Amino acid sequence: MDSITTAASVVAAGLAVGLGAIGPGIGQGSAAQGAVEGIARQPEAEGKIRGTLLLSFAFMESLTIYGLVVALVLLFANPFAG
Amino acid sequence: MIDFAGLSQRAFGDIDASPHKGFIDESPSGGFLVQSELLGDSSIHETLLDPETLDEQSKISQDEYLQLQLRIYRLAFVLAAIFVVLAAFLFGQNTSISILVGALSGILYLRLLARGIGKLGSSQKIVGKIQLIIPVILVLVVSKLPELQLLPALLGFLLYKPSLVIQFLLEPKVQ
Repeated sequence: MDSITTAASVVAAGLAVGLGAIGPGIGQGSAAQGAVEGIARQPEAEGKIRGTLLLSFAFMESLTIYGLVVALVLLFANPFAG
Repeated sequence: MIDFAGLSQRAFGDIDASPHKGFIDESPSGGFLVQSELLGDSSIHETLLDPETLDEQSKISQDEYLQLQLRIYRLAFVLAAIFVVLAAFLFGQNTSISILVGALSGILYLRLLARGIGKLGSSQKIVGKIQLIIPVILVLVVSKLPELQLLPALLGFLLYKPSLVIQFLLEPKVQ
């Protein structure tokens, strides 16, 4: 792998993780805030709220995982490496 | 001059006129003033704030959340088994092993995520990020072992998502 490809891969890996984590991070924060408020208001609905939170977290965090996987592939199994 | 007599007549006169005996007026903050609150009856609040009642409610909710997790894991295992068998017939043994490794990683990831969400609000203020180590380890292991393939392993890892969707679609509506 030549030096330009290596440098571009490292920069792209950092951007993939960094930019990919911004949106899910904001979304997870607001979702967790709403869930904790809901549990505090209605403790009897705690199970359902946590279940819904699990669903939403799993889908939001998968966006982070996509970026993470792209970064790891670029770093450890780079398809552009000659 | 403030007409105190008129104000009290407006406030307490609605108690009998209201069709809902419990509610008499909307408070400025958007909630409802309950008649028992105005009359000083605090027994309802004592019941609601009773530690034993709250403990029972919390245990029931935790059981409900635990049962939901178990149903999701069971469905994820069934889906993983179906996909592994299909891949073994259609694509070969290496692909099916990759899907199996990915599916087990996905279930472990979901378990860690569910544990983090279960602790939210009680012992933790934020949901932990420790579950993100699972896809990292998966990609590293798959890239180091020549027997495993990256794409089937990632597809197997994402098998927890259909199980979540199916579980929430099949979930009985609680009245």
